Amino acid sequence: MSRVITITSGKGGVGKTTSTANLGAALAMQGLKVAVVDADIGLRNLDVVMGLENRIVYDLVDVVEGRCRLRQALIKDKHFPDLCLLPAAQTRDKDAVTADDMIALTNQLRAEFDYVLIDSPAGIEAGFRNAIAGADEVLIVTTPEVAAVRDADRIIGLVEAFEKGHPRLIINRLKPRMVSRGEMMSIDDVLQILAIDLIGVVPDDEQIVTSTNRGEVAVLDRSSRAGRAFVEIARRLAGEDVPITVFDDNPGLLNRIFGAFGIRPRGSER
Amino acid sequence: MGFLDTLFGKRERSSDIARDRLLTVLVHDRVKLTPDMMEQLKADLSAVIARYVPSVDAGAIEVTLLRGESVDHLKADIPLRRTPQKL
Ligand SMILES: Nc1ncnc2c1ncn2[C@@H]1O[C@H](COP(=O)(O)OP(=O)(O)OP(=O)(O)O)[C@@H](O)[C@H]1O
Ligand SMILES: [Mg+2]
Repeated sequence: MSRVITITSGKGGVGKTTSTANLGAALAMQGLKVAVVDADIGLRNLDVVMGLENRIVYDLVDVVEGRCRLRQALIKDKHFPDLCLLPAAQTRDKDAVTADDMIALTNQLRAEFDYVLIDSPAGIEAGFRNAIAGADEVLIVTTPEVAAVRDADRIIGLVEAFEKGHPRLIINRLKPRMVSRGEMMSIDDVLQILAIDLIGVVPDDEQIVTSTNRGEVAVLDRSSRAGRAFVEIARRLAGEDVPITVFDDNPGLLNRIFGAFGIRPRGSER
Repeated sequence: MGFLDTLFGKRERSSDIARDRLLTVLVHDRVKLTPDMMEQLKADLSAVIARYVPSVDAGAIEVTLLRGESVDHLKADIPLRRTPQKL
């Protein structure tokens, strides 16, 4: 049975596209057949994050409008032959597809893939509704910031209203050192506020920027903390029981001093 | 907020402030009580209470929305004026 999973958020720029690309690659690393779909029509992004922007011939709207067959629009990943991208249209607006189009499209993809991951646009408008229309499950991405968490709460309510079950949460860009200093909300703070199941925590990691520069996903880089977090999330998605690790950066000076006295900084572990 | 401030308890941790602000804003997002409705609610409340307790201090009523574990709370604090005791 294949699964269609939409990755969405209330606030923009919190890491949906980064999560989709990395989870897609991490699932493909497990030997699964995966399609990642860019449903952010008009703001194509997933292709550049995966480094596939030069290979695009057809896009999602071409498939929906019958100008090509699905097979022709799917682009094979550079590293994983079982990972394919269906790019968004860049020159069309979001009204070019309907929720029914997306349901038909995801049903076609189910026939070929174990996992279909859909990168949703942010917000509560038609683009979001189209992106979740064909989904079995929804993952919500937030950062531990007031505005992002507030908007996540709104989206959780909508996902439940559309009867997509209980969405699960990815907390992205966590800075464990700031949490331990009381300068960033902790995982527990966010979970208490949103009352939702957590599927994983991704640290803020400069390697996300450098790997995105290169058009390589972070999961390919074993030294990337964010990459390792995404590998864990993919294993959890696939049903494995993996405890949640908070990947911390190198201990700072103060923590090393405290560490020497056997004092552990608070909040760095869940 | 600096480390020393935390150590000496000078300022509240910004993460706690963030959490408290979120808790408040989310209940308001959900319950959708506008400030106008809040004022009307207080006026109605004091009118009803005054029928039973004439010493209600209408201007000092405070109504707040609070988020609880499983349910949210609408909490009213209704101060009563202390009438001087008759000898
Ligand atoms: N864990 C992380 N550490 C550091 N940078 C990150 C992390 N996650 C995402 N970013 C950066 O944040 C920016 C936004 O990420 P991304 O494009 O994935 O967000 P999005 O939710 O898809 O945005 P949009 O709403 O515009 O589609 C990018 O520059 C990305 O490199
Ligand atoms: Mg995006």
